[in-house]
Amino acid sequence: MSHPDTRAVSLRDRMLIASVALAAIVVGVFVATILAVSAARTATEQEARSKNLSVQALRLEKLVLDVENGVRGYAFTRDRRFLRPYNAAVRSMPSERRNFRALAKDQPLQAERAKHIDELIGYYIDTFAIPVLAFRNTAAIELAYNNVGRTQAADIHRRFATFISEENALSQDRERAADSKSRHAMELGVVGLTGSAILILLFAIYLARGIARPVTEAAAGAGQVAAGDLSIRLSQKGPGEVGELTKSFNEMAERLQATRNELESQNAQLRESERLKSDLVNTVSHELRTPLSGVLGFTKLLLSRDFDAETRRHYLGIVDAQARRLSDLLDDFLDVRRIEEGRFERAKELVDMATLLEEEAQLYSQQSPKHEVEVEIDHAPLAVIGNPDRLRQVIGNLISNAIKYSPQGGVVAVIADRENGHVRVEVRDEGMGIPLNQQSKIFTKFFRGDAAASGITGTGLGLAVSRDIVESHGGRIGFESAEGEGTTFFVELPGVNGVKFRQGHDDDQS
Amino acid sequence: MRRRSTSSASGNGWPAMERRKTILICDDEPALRELIRASMGDGFEFAEASDGIIAMELAREVTPDLVILDLMLPRLSGLEVLARLNDDEGLRDVPVLVITAWNETREDVLAAGADEFVTKPFDPDDLRSAVNRLVAA
Repeated sequence: MSHPDTRAVSLRDRMLIASVALAAIVVGVFVATILAVSAARTATEQEARSKNLSVQALRLEKLVLDVENGVRGYAFTRDRRFLRPYNAAVRSMPSERRNFRALAKDQPLQAERAKHIDELIGYYIDTFAIPVLAFRNTAAIELAYNNVGRTQAADIHRRFATFISEENALSQDRERAADSKSRHAMELGVVGLTGSAILILLFAIYLARGIARPVTEAAAGAGQVAAGDLSIRLSQKGPGEVGELTKSFNEMAERLQATRNELESQNAQLRESERLKSDLVNTVSHELRTPLSGVLGFTKLLLSRDFDAETRRHYLGIVDAQARRLSDLLDDFLDVRRIEEGRFERAKELVDMATLLEEEAQLYSQQSPKHEVEVEIDHAPLAVIGNPDRLRQVIGNLISNAIKYSPQGGVVAVIADRENGHVRVEVRDEGMGIPLNQQSKIFTKFFRGDAAASGITGTGLGLAVSRDIVESHGGRIGFESAEGEGTTFFVELPGVNGVKFRQGHDDDQS
Repeated sequence: MRRRSTSSASGNGWPAMERRKTILICDDEPALRELIRASMGDGFEFAEASDGIIAMELAREVTPDLVILDLMLPRLSGLEVLARLNDDEGLRDVPVLVITAWNETREDVLAAGADEFVTKPFDPDDLRSAVNRLVAA
C-alpha cells in the first residue's frame, strides 16, 4: 500500500538523503575553494616566472653586450684583458640561452620571439664575434664591426627590448589575473562556508521542527494520557514515521477514551442496577410487611381476644384482603420472572375493550371514595385480539396508578375509541404528574422515582409488566405528563373490525 | 382520610374519674389503622390521619396524648411530621411511637425524636403494652 503524500519516504531515508546532500554540498564548496586557491597559486607562479624570464632576458642581453664590448675592445686594442668578460660571456652563454628559451616557452608568442633572439645571438656569435677575433687587420675589424656587428647587435637589443616590454605587459596581466583569482578564491571560500553553515543550520531547524518538536509533543501527550487526560490529541504532522507516530498516538488516545467511556457507562449502569436492587429490597420489605402486619396482627387478635361475630367477620375480611394483596404481590414478581424468562402466557381470544374498561373502572371506583372514575366510550364494542386477563391487568394497573398518583383525589378519566385501525385507550388523571427527569425511566423495572419517599405504595413493576403485555399484543404504551397537572397514559392495540359480541353490540364501524 | 372516633364501648365499666386518652394514628393503610385501634381495645379516643399534612392538622386540633406514626406517609413523610411535632411548643412533649416497615435503625428513629419504635409486622399485645407505657409515663 502506497501513501499518496510525501510521507511515503521513511524518516531514515529522509535523514540519509538530507545528510548526504549536505555533505555533497559542503565537499563541493571545499573542492571549488581549493581549485580556486590552486588557480590563484598557478597565476602567482606564472607571474613569478614572468619576472624570472625578464631577469633572464636582461642577463642574456648583458652577456650579448659583454660579447660585443669584448670583441670591439680586443679588436681595436689587441689587449687580451678585453677578452676576459668576452670569454666568461661565451662560456656561460649556452646555459643562459637554454634557460632563457626554457623560461620563455610558457607563452607561444614570447617563445617564438625568444627562439628568434636565441638564433640571432647564435648567428651573431658564430658569424661575427668568433670570425672577427681571428682578423689581424684593424681596418677589416672596424669594417666588419661597422657593417655587420653593430647592425646585428642593434637588432638583438631591439628584439630584447620588445621581448622584455612584452614580457612586462604579460607579467602585469598575470599579476592582475593572480590578484583576481585569489580574490575569487577568497570570495568563494567565504560564500561557500557561509552557505554550508546556513544549510547545516537549516538542517538542524528541520530536525528540530520536523522531528524533535512532534516527538516532544508526543512525549508530553503520552505523559498527559498517563495522568488520565484522554482528551489530548496531537497535531498530525512531521515526516514519515513521526507523522505515523502522532497518528497512531491519536488513534490510541481515541480508542482509550472510547474504552473508558464504555467502562464508565457500564459502571453507571451497574451502579444504577445496584441502586434499583437496593430500592427493591426496601420496596419488597415495605410491600410485604404492611399486608403481613394486617394478616398476623388480626390473626393474633382473633386468637387471643373475644369479639362478637360481626367484628370477627369484619376482621377476617381484612385478613383475607391483606392475604390476597400478598398473593397479588407474589404474582407481580412472578410476572417479572416470566418476562425475564420470555414465557409470558399469551393465549389470545376476541376481547371487547369497551366492556373490559367499564368493569375495571367500576372495580376501582369502589376502592377509592376520593376519586371519581369516569368512562367515555363513543363507539362500542372495541374489539381486539388478546388475553383478557393480561389486558385487564394493564388497564387495572393504569387506573390504580392514576388513583395512587393523585392522592388529593379528583377525576380519573378512561377514554377509548378507534383510531386508524387501532383501539386507543387513555387513562387521564389530575394528579402530581411525572417529573421531567424521571419520564424516561418509568418503564424500568423497580423504578419508583419519588414515590417511595412520598409514601405511595407499589413495587415499581406495574408499568414494566404492562409494557411487556401491550407489546406482546402488537401494541404500544406511552404517556404525556406535566408535573403538578396530571398524567395521561395511553395504550394502542390493533383493532378488529366487523365483530359481533354475544352481548349484542353492533360494530357500527363496519 | 381524617377521622375522630371513640372506642366502641364508652363508659362500659371504666372509671369515669380519668379523662380518656386520645391517640393520633397516622398511617396511609386503612387496614393497619384498624388493626392499631383493635389492638388498643377500649378505653382510648382515636384520631386518624392518612397522610402527613392531615396528621399535623389533627395533632394541633386535638393535642393527642400519644401519636402513633408510620414513617412512610404521603404528602409529608413521617420523619418530617416528627420534626414538626418537635418544633411545635404545644406538641413537643407528646410521646411518639413510630411504626415502620423500612429498614431504619432504632437509633436513627429515636434520635429523630421518637419515644418508641415498632417494626411491621408487630404483635398487637406488644403494641398495646408499649402504648400503655408511654401514656402512663
